[in-house]
Amino acid sequence: MLKQKRDKSSKREHNPYRRRLLFFILLGWGLLLLGDRVSELRVYQGALIAIYALAIGSLILLTGYSGQLSLGQGAFMAIGAYAAALTQIYLQPPLIVTFIAAVVVAALFGAIIGGGAARLSGPYLAGTTLALALGLPTLANLFSFLGGETGLYFDVGIAPERFGAEFTLYKWFFWIAALATLIMLFFIQNILKSRYGRAWKAGRSNPAAAQLVGLQVGRRKVLAFTISAGVAGLAGALLGMVSLVAPSTFTLSLSFAIITGAVLAGLTSLTGSILGGLVLVVIPEIAEMVSGNFGESEAVTANFPGLITSLLLILTVLFTPNGPAEQWHHHKEKKKQKALEKAH
Amino acid sequence: MIGSFRKKGLVAASAIVAIAGLALAAVPAQAREVGVTATSIKIGTTVPLTGIAGPGYAKVAPAMKAYFDYVNANGGINGRKIEFIIKDDRYLPPVSVEKTNELILKDKVFAIVGALGTANNLAVNSRVRLGSRGVPSLFVNTGFSGFADKKKFPTLFPLFSSYRMEAKIMGQYIKENFAGKKIGLIYQNDDFGADALKGFESAGVKFDVSLPYVSGTQGAATATTWIQKMAAAKVEVVYIFGVTTATAAAVGVAAAAGYKPQWIFGSVGADATTIVGQTTVPVALLNGALSMSFMPDAADTTDEYVKFFREVNTTYNNNATFDNNIMAGMNGAMMVAQALKAAGANPTRKSLIAAIESKGSTWASAGYPPIGFSSTSRVGYTGFWIGKYNLTGSLIPVEAKGTIFTTDSGNGPVVKTTSKRPALPAKGLPN
Amino acid sequence: MQQVINVFLIGISIGSIYALMSLALVLVWRSTRVVNFAQAGQAIVTTYIAWEVVNRSGSFLMAFILAVAIGGLIGGLVESGMMRTLFKHASDGPVAAVAPVIATLGLLGVIRALVGLIWTNEGKRFESPVSTAGFVIGDTTLPFSRLNLLIIFTAAFVMIVFSIVFQRTNLGLALRAAAYNPEIARLSGVKVSMTRTIGWVFAGAAGAVAGILLSPNDSLTPYSLDVLFVFGFVAAVIGGLESLVGAVVGGLVLGVGLSFITFYLGTSLVFPTAFIVLVVVLLVRPSGLFGVKGARSA
Repeated sequence: MLKQKRDKSSKREHNPYRRRLLFFILLGWGLLLLGDRVSELRVYQGALIAIYALAIGSLILLTGYSGQLSLGQGAFMAIGAYAAALTQIYLQPPLIVTFIAAVVVAALFGAIIGGGAARLSGPYLAGTTLALALGLPTLANLFSFLGGETGLYFDVGIAPERFGAEFTLYKWFFWIAALATLIMLFFIQNILKSRYGRAWKAGRSNPAAAQLVGLQVGRRKVLAFTISAGVAGLAGALLGMVSLVAPSTFTLSLSFAIITGAVLAGLTSLTGSILGGLVLVVIPEIAEMVSGNFGESEAVTANFPGLITSLLLILTVLFTPNGPAEQWHHHKEKKKQKALEKAH
Repeated sequence: MIGSFRKKGLVAASAIVAIAGLALAAVPAQAREVGVTATSIKIGTTVPLTGIAGPGYAKVAPAMKAYFDYVNANGGINGRKIEFIIKDDRYLPPVSVEKTNELILKDKVFAIVGALGTANNLAVNSRVRLGSRGVPSLFVNTGFSGFADKKKFPTLFPLFSSYRMEAKIMGQYIKENFAGKKIGLIYQNDDFGADALKGFESAGVKFDVSLPYVSGTQGAATATTWIQKMAAAKVEVVYIFGVTTATAAAVGVAAAAGYKPQWIFGSVGADATTIVGQTTVPVALLNGALSMSFMPDAADTTDEYVKFFREVNTTYNNNATFDNNIMAGMNGAMMVAQALKAAGANPTRKSLIAAIESKGSTWASAGYPPIGFSSTSRVGYTGFWIGKYNLTGSLIPVEAKGTIFTTDSGNGPVVKTTSKRPALPAKGLPN
Repeated sequence: MQQVINVFLIGISIGSIYALMSLALVLVWRSTRVVNFAQAGQAIVTTYIAWEVVNRSGSFLMAFILAVAIGGLIGGLVESGMMRTLFKHASDGPVAAVAPVIATLGLLGVIRALVGLIWTNEGKRFESPVSTAGFVIGDTTLPFSRLNLLIIFTAAFVMIVFSIVFQRTNLGLALRAAAYNPEIARLSGVKVSMTRTIGWVFAGAAGAVAGILLSPNDSLTPYSLDVLFVFGFVAAVIGGLESLVGAVVGGLVLGVGLSFITFYLGTSLVFPTAFIVLVVVLLVRPSGLFGVKGARSA
């Protein structure tokens, strides 16, 4: 049985990189074409979906593959957003540099915090990152160059003229967000399939055994935290671009929303992150439609989405703890195995 | 190869779902201006209904809606009913940006009216680019002087007398009446507060104790530190230049601590019913506190505008407790109705802005000071009257009624004059 | 000097509320090895119920008793309903370690949404049962009020009741045994599943007291106890997460410390300080000031 599995995986590794690249390019091309065919509202929502998907991807990378749960992705997003905004305000470099700054600075903070976090596990890490998510944005009020509650504007300007006059603000947001997200997801996907990714997985499911075979679980955990923070930082910069770089952009609710999206998408499947982003945008839409039937009460509009997503969260973790996608996958694998066993 | 494609099934599935989600709606063709149909005209606003600044300010938008409902019941604007959408932004600038995006993209409003908050409006104008997209934002509920900059905010019209004007006028009053006393200031540490600081500077007022606070922290805990510091420094006059919840927190804690300074409340943080509703202090405790306003006091039932707004409030606003927030809401709504009417039988966003520029300064409103709109000026009201609270929480003018102080948001002088406010039009409807 | 005493007393008052939340978290942790992220959420429900009762009957005492009882009931229901199912289904797999965190976060979300649906998100004013006016000594008025005194006395009362239950009763012995070593406790005839539920019941009641003490004279919203949870957690970690005494001391230390920071350095430093304290304790003395060493991995 073991032998067969190895055979299969070696066959799979037959140039997986190029195939993934092709897939992401096709997906990107399709999405951008689509941007021309739908209303401005959908384009705007598309940008939000891309941003959430990226943030969820950063959490999946951390939790699904290295077993650490961070409730503080919002804090790393904030760091990335402030880094991007400050870089732009003080240096005015090309746009791409501001996004790189977001990734690098957030990753740096991730490395520092990850250094401490690697020693913590389960609820301790969750509680600490929760305190980070709640505490870090308030720093903006301490230093005037961070703009206080009013925040900073991370202004990516309008689309270059060669894109034409029809190219709206939202389409510009969507292009930037979708491209950044696709490139980043592609990058994460490749890490996860690399030996690092496999080492993380090993460290997650059995730290003691991984240690025995010479994998440095601690160091790899820090690395996972660093990369995750960097990815979250980029998502934060993108959110800052669409919204505002302010403490109230990066609230605890945002961190919770990202966890919700990640759990619903399946904490162990990166590809589910796009689905997770979609869920976060679609559920409020549905809730609004439903609340319309209740006479558009403010209390219903404000709370109904939270009720639905939280209920889904509980049900998911109670009955399919590894996410619906993984469960389905698991189910399929089992079936395959059974078929194989029968054949032998 | 085939196997790998199957493995990618999930990826493809999620991508397809994402694309399908995006493709739900197509763009409808538009003949008329956005938000305008043969029978209706759609406008929207962002205000705090909940959250830290909610108490008091939550009454502004429903009051606007009440006046619009009254207009609709009397035939609407040029035969069109006003459809008014209220979004709660909890006074958080990023939420204002999000909700404004929704108003423009999802609800497709003709214009934004009465959006509340300095930081909120600044954020919206920068991030949603109302100006370059030509979306009008009428009569914002903030007195930030910077909004009068037509170049920066080509589609935005402020209405309130600016915070700078306020600080200059009250600054002069402080110099004349409280010379030699210890004076303290509590202000919101953002553009709202900074605007006032500039005004105090031009008035030449110095504060012995100056305490900035971060929007969102103005609870009892923070107010305790204000009062302890003010009391420790033996400050005799305390000027609170913040939102109403900040005033309420300070007054409540001071009452409990037995600290009794001469209070001065900033015009947007001075509503007596809200302050009393948010604390356990009896209304009589406000007696003698100074404040200023550009509208008549909500309790002044001899004023024709107050009387009219109270009638609308009874019928169309569930008879909510009438206060300055409701006054501000209805007064803004009255200006909006006149602007929509003046924009013509086939209103466009451009004709709306042109109408305000050409006729806005002549429209009827409850405000005492003259309005400064013209093709070159975006300044709304240009002054205040100063009053003192009595035992029942009404603001009583310190000068003769109708006496106002006018000035500008620069270094111009403060001028004492008499109001020449237009009379209430028939039935309170736009002419 | 007088100001220092003032700030200290206010700190003790707020710290005793943190101590109660910290106690609740420690009780749950000892019984099921779970940090209950919905602890403040449960307290929000009972605080709203108390608000409703105070508004209708005017009796703070009745509201208090009802809130504590319902708080205990909710705690028991959450443990026997949700947590048991969770342990049954999510006992293995890659996310088993984080499943309780996610489940309790989900519960927090559900509770907040329901509270918002029933009472709206608009801030409710919770009137104080006693005067919030400061005590007058000579010709100066202290910021320390009857309400602060009531908070300290109530918290102390609850803690005394807890210590009697834990130290002097058979139930307390069983609870301590089960927390110390569930296997041996089971072998000596302790119904461990029962002690688990009871741990959650006590925690729910303690959290309810914390919520009802924090809310008077302030605005009550579905989110107003978030901060209480975080400070309760920090206090629990300072105390070592295992020790009931540690939880109380941790709460008081944090309350006094933050009170001084609020007054002398400003409110914007409160969260950063709490976070730094948390990280420093976790890194330097991970077992807390009262904990047993090596108890951190769970």
